[in-house]
Amino acid sequence: MKKKNILLCVAIAMLSLLLTACGGGPKQQSSGSGKQAAADNGKKLVIYTSMKESLIGPIVEGFKKANPGVDVDYQSAGAGKLMAKIATERQSGKILADVIWTSEVPDFYSMKNEGILETYKPSNLKELINPFDDYDGSFTAARLGTLGIVINTTKIKEKPTQWSDLLKPEYNKAFGIADPALSGTSYMSVALLEKQFGWDFFHKLHDNGTRIGKGSGQVIDDTSSGELSASLAVDYITNSKIKKGAKLALCYPPELLVVPSPVAIFKGGQHMDLAKKFVDYLLSKEAQQVVANEGTIPVRSDVKVPEKFGLPTPKDAAERGIKVNYTEILPKKADTIKQFTEIIGKK
Amino acid sequence: MNGTVKNSGSSFGVAQIILFISIAILVIVVAFPVLLIFFNAVWVEDHFEFANAIKVLWEEEEIFQALINSLIIAGGTTVGSTIVGTFFAWLVTRTDLPYKSFMKSMFLVPFMLPSFIGALAWKMLLSPNAGFINRFFIENFGFDGPIFNIYTYYGISAVEIMYLFPFVFIQVCGALERMDPTLEESARISGAGLFTITRKITIPLVMPSILSGALLIMLYSMAHFGTVAVLGIENGIYNIPTLIYERIHQSGGSFASIRTGTILATVLVISAALIIWAQRKILGSGHYQIIGGKSFRPMELKLRGLRWPLLIFCFLYIGFTIILPTVVIFLVGGLSTYGLPFTLENLSLDNYKFILFEYQVTKDAIFNSVWLGFVAAIITMFAGVMISYVIVKMKVRGKGILEFLGMLPFSVPGSVIALGVILAWSGQFGINIYNTVWIILVAYIARYMAFSLKANSAALEQVHDSLVEAARSCGATMWQSLRDVVIPLVRPGMFAAFFLIFLPALRELTVSIMLYAPTTRTIGVAIYTLNEDGETVISAALAGIALILIVVGQTIINKMTKKAGE
Repeated sequence: MKKKNILLCVAIAMLSLLLTACGGGPKQQSSGSGKQAAADNGKKLVIYTSMKESLIGPIVEGFKKANPGVDVDYQSAGAGKLMAKIATERQSGKILADVIWTSEVPDFYSMKNEGILETYKPSNLKELINPFDDYDGSFTAARLGTLGIVINTTKIKEKPTQWSDLLKPEYNKAFGIADPALSGTSYMSVALLEKQFGWDFFHKLHDNGTRIGKGSGQVIDDTSSGELSASLAVDYITNSKIKKGAKLALCYPPELLVVPSPVAIFKGGQHMDLAKKFVDYLLSKEAQQVVANEGTIPVRSDVKVPEKFGLPTPKDAAERGIKVNYTEILPKKADTIKQFTEIIGKK
Repeated sequence: MNGTVKNSGSSFGVAQIILFISIAILVIVVAFPVLLIFFNAVWVEDHFEFANAIKVLWEEEEIFQALINSLIIAGGTTVGSTIVGTFFAWLVTRTDLPYKSFMKSMFLVPFMLPSFIGALAWKMLLSPNAGFINRFFIENFGFDGPIFNIYTYYGISAVEIMYLFPFVFIQVCGALERMDPTLEESARISGAGLFTITRKITIPLVMPSILSGALLIMLYSMAHFGTVAVLGIENGIYNIPTLIYERIHQSGGSFASIRTGTILATVLVISAALIIWAQRKILGSGHYQIIGGKSFRPMELKLRGLRWPLLIFCFLYIGFTIILPTVVIFLVGGLSTYGLPFTLENLSLDNYKFILFEYQVTKDAIFNSVWLGFVAAIITMFAGVMISYVIVKMKVRGKGILEFLGMLPFSVPGSVIALGVILAWSGQFGINIYNTVWIILVAYIARYMAFSLKANSAALEQVHDSLVEAARSCGATMWQSLRDVVIPLVRPGMFAAFFLIFLPALRELTVSIMLYAPTTRTIGVAIYTLNEDGETVISAALAGIALILIVVGQTIINKMTKKAGE
């Protein structure tokens, strides 16, 4: 029976191990259980964003430098995934993120309608270019993203100048659009192109073998590798790859796809002051210069975009971009994605 | 007299408590989540509705297609792996192939390579327009199109075969080695030719091992996420786990998609149970018992002129399936951006440095995976010892329940466990650990409990009660006999359990992809999401680092198990 006692001890030890493991937990630098770390210092801001590392990384670094002692965690993923994550988090009672910054404008309208966004007008609001007519402080544009046609310069010699160029034979089975269900920018471009040219244009694209890719980054890598000859591409992601030597060129047809990337703060977050500070910083000249240097359009006229990118000025972009009424396209979002997938994905 | 009675009474109580704790662990960790899945699959609003579950399966085209795809891919993989595995097993055990024992260890290497990393490599090699192999043929030999398109059922199955065939290989090798050669011998003496012997003696004897290996692969492939996710999703090929993942991730947390997930998960569990039942039936059938005992070396077939060509073939196979993909992963990981040619000026160690020292996402991922693997392995190892001890050694009422529960972890695939823990631990029952590392830890414990139970009960079964009794009759206390007799004998089993869990957990994808949160990515999740986000070179570099970790870990184990064996 002593044997049994020992076993019992082992069992109890094990259970307590399990319990301490669940309760105390290990010391982790800034990782592991984010929740616990957040509770520890109360100074950890969580940002959900669809911006890639090359853009969000330097901005967060700059913010940390400007505010010593502050810790920031960010999750960079497609807008669709982030929204799904937020929805699940809401079901379990608490949104982990304090700030959200993506390019899927309709999401911000629906979050505003659901009342989960904090109204905050940044201190430097007057200096900014605001693409939203019904601006009320729920969200503020922090970047004017553009999308163009990126070509693999070894595969396509003549730069496309019109959207209709995509119907030419050299783009046959070789042009890709990121999955609008995963990527916010992709969804917005589909909505804009549909507004301008109608579904008819997409039927023609399908006839020319246009393919659906995965995320907005992957279609560009696929173009760079030659799996695709061209794709619908986000400005700064393409430019960061060109900087690293990729044989790509980004071309803008006259009907410009401009997708504002709004930033917003969630209501009821634990780090409200910090979140507001971050939004202010994001819209400051310093951070907007980072935005411009990465090859996308800032929301301040006093920030110059390096000329090599061939981007329009912020004012121009706001004027040249295809106009769309966001509140109008919002309810049609699921339908738009479905119709796109049906047309382009048809075998 | 009184003392004895009293003692036996109290020890009965202790046994009951240990049994109770063992049952509690299995119920909480495995049974409860799985039951929740079954429940949610057939419970609509406030009543049971079986018909609806079946309707969902049959009427939603995408779901039905995923079912069919799972069957096609698992079927192809099973048949292919069985042929490949059996052939190589025969080659290294029954022929006079040169360097046999070296080749045998080489054929086990694919086990180390996680198949989703293999899939990434093959995507780089064989994607239709950009794959290095395809481009090589198009540019140098004037081919019009790709020689092989990896984004097809064939491609997916081929990749799975490459990394799964060792399941069959090991089983068949073992059977061929242990088989009593006198059986074949006597057939030969009675005048049977080689063909007749193979057909009438060898194949029937080895068949149970082949089939059981094949079923293992079927089970694995049905529930496999990585390869299909990397090669299939983009081209609309989903299997059950990938569809569950897509539905959950794009659902926005709506319950309808979780319910669809539970229905698909139920299908997985049922097929797994069927497969395991079939496997037991086959292994339990009489054939297998003829194999046993160690006797003479079996007769070797003389390959004659084919000896060296076959050896070269084996080397080519290893080179093609292991070395080539590994090299590609490391090379792409060194590129500054994907799509550049492999020239010296384009290659550097920058990505590796970035991953290890600068990029928070990958640093976190490596830390999380190591930590999760370690803690899960420790907890599961101890829990496994205790539960196995109850099952194997203790005579206590109610053990049957535990034996039944102990079977469960074997038949529950990873994506099912992930879905189950989401249902169980995201707040509906008072505990909310969703979005933390703890939910991944709980899922890992559930997923790897089977490994621990298997290793520990095998070790415990070898410890005969008489050993303990002998120690006791020489005057050792119970504690002494446990410490000096049982534990040393069981220790190899515990070690084995630890590493059997630690290494797979290090590269785990199927479970963690469903459960990760911003800061709780594992290595597998980081590789997968970085690739999905178009950070091809970074994800390849991280895959390279993962491979190094795995190989180092495996080498340490081999060293340690050798020591333990001495």
